[in-house]
Amino acid sequence: MHNPYIPLLTEIKDIVSENKVNDLKTLELVFKKEEDYKAFTYIPGQFAEISLIGKGECPIGIASSPTEEDSIKFTIKKMGSVTTAFHNCEVGDIVGIRGPCGNGWPIDEMKNKNIVVIGGGFAFSTLRSLIIYMLDNKYRNNYKDITVIYGNRDSGEVLYRNDLDKWKKRNDLNVILTIDQEEKGWKEKVGFVAPVLKDVSPSPENAIAVVCGPPIMIKTTIAVLEELNFKDEQILNSLEMRMKCGIGKCGRCNIGNKFVCIDGPVFSLAELKKLPNEY
Amino acid sequence: MDQKILMKNEIGKLYIELAEEYNFYAPVINKGNLIYNKILNPDEIILDFYNSKIPPKEILFPKMETLFEYKTDGKNIEEIIERKDLDEYNIIFGIRPCDAQAFMLMENFFALGDIKDNLFLKKKENTVLIGIGCNIPKSTCFCTSVNGHPFKSDYLDIFMIDLGEKYLVEGISDKGKNMLEKLTWLSKSTKADIQKGEELSKKAEESFKTKLDVKDIEKILEQSFDHPIWTEISDICMGCGICSFLCPTCTCFDVIDENDQYNNRGRRIRIWDTCQFCLYTLHTSGHNPRDSSIERCRNRILHKFCYYPKNYDMLGCVGCGRCIQLCPVNNDLRKIIEKVNKIKEEEKVNA
Repeated sequence: MHNPYIPLLTEIKDIVSENKVNDLKTLELVFKKEEDYKAFTYIPGQFAEISLIGKGECPIGIASSPTEEDSIKFTIKKMGSVTTAFHNCEVGDIVGIRGPCGNGWPIDEMKNKNIVVIGGGFAFSTLRSLIIYMLDNKYRNNYKDITVIYGNRDSGEVLYRNDLDKWKKRNDLNVILTIDQEEKGWKEKVGFVAPVLKDVSPSPENAIAVVCGPPIMIKTTIAVLEELNFKDEQILNSLEMRMKCGIGKCGRCNIGNKFVCIDGPVFSLAELKKLPNEY
Repeated sequence: MDQKILMKNEIGKLYIELAEEYNFYAPVINKGNLIYNKILNPDEIILDFYNSKIPPKEILFPKMETLFEYKTDGKNIEEIIERKDLDEYNIIFGIRPCDAQAFMLMENFFALGDIKDNLFLKKKENTVLIGIGCNIPKSTCFCTSVNGHPFKSDYLDIFMIDLGEKYLVEGISDKGKNMLEKLTWLSKSTKADIQKGEELSKKAEESFKTKLDVKDIEKILEQSFDHPIWTEISDICMGCGICSFLCPTCTCFDVIDENDQYNNRGRRIRIWDTCQFCLYTLHTSGHNPRDSSIERCRNRILHKFCYYPKNYDMLGCVGCGRCIQLCPVNNDLRKIIEKVNKIKEEEKVNA
């Protein structure tokens, strides 16, 4: 009998502190058993229930792309007891993982489209997964123009510097970084994500906009996308919700009759408009 | 005829025959409350009862349940120990038809989706439900309004009717029929017994005082998400959660680790949780999608009467009446449903 609450075991291979205040860390995990690694196949936008035994379990978006082989990455903000325990981990510690959970970004439906990726703050993790996936040699031709707009409170909060540097050097995607206020030495854009998006003004023609960030950013961004004539079906969001099981059983992540953990976390704006406004 | 007779004074014999192979659960009085408990002495069994305070869901979905146990080296996990007790066989004797219907709903729920809750499903598979029809439904009962009946046998394995000194016994499922076949000592029923059973069923059905109209409730609820009745309904609610903890169809749970750090071991458990608590949906960020009792009361009603029908084409309520009897402020589900129905009438008048 398969007990769906038993985690697979992984070991921490690397820990990277992602921001200046050091409350965001990326853990790189490798599966203890080869068969578990093979069984854990995921797509960008999915999440997993990761746990430290004796401390507890929490749902975290997968920050790595399935194209990055051998390991799996999670970027964790230090917020509560479980995430703090993750921040206290050392290389070699054992992390339990259940998943992958959720639907993920619709990578097949997004094929042959122009992709506008809009992210704010540390919600950028599953967007990193998506971008790395789309930029992979095997898949890059499946997608047309890729535009990335990534906003942060200040320069110290910008995640995945190495990746951003690599992307900036490529000529097959347009990366726009912005921070809320001017800073010495900052050469990119300044301002909230929504007005920057308005400046960039991507065409809705054959496009999909992927939006991930804090609620206020999502709200203002969607307003701009609507102004730019993006239709509800062309706007994708990834939602967050308190969860325990990740498999649609513990009850708490429902919006109307849908569960964010199994029916989401990715919903189009068209789907969200059909659901009660309770998220 | 397939129906058999079990004399009430033969229940001890039935217990002795079955308890070797099965964990035998039946109604008992425990600390003043009627509950279903594992029987060690058949004399404990209470058969003159209306229904249990805690629904028998707790046998297959306990208040606290181990998901797995583990050993550590002091910090990291060393070994995961799976549960070994799921293969045990159970009998729930004396379950009411409404609670059996609730098990059917739970089974549907736990089996939905790509990943099934095999902990519950395995136990359910290994359980034989021996139910008794309700000769005298209580005033708070309303099963006949929600696809139930005091004598509904559909979701039982064996169905019994209380004829006074004896039970009229019928095998319903294959599991139940097979079990009855082995109980060769059960006596045959007479036409008079069967006729009496039918009379009791009719009498019970006619005795229902509460008739709720749930015909259009799914649609009305869907269209009334922001209606002021939710403020009205939640006004007196204290958020104690008894309505959902003791609801036979509620399945929400929390997951926590219990760590015995001095002995390098522990267990991950699930415990009953309820959508009536504010912590249930509170994000770590502080954001809470169901911040006040308005949203929380609404979620409970919509879950049972709108979301359940949408996902399963069935109501998520079996009409047992526990939430009505046990609510400390008498926030009566029957009245709530009446209020919801009134929304439609008011709209008609306004139109």
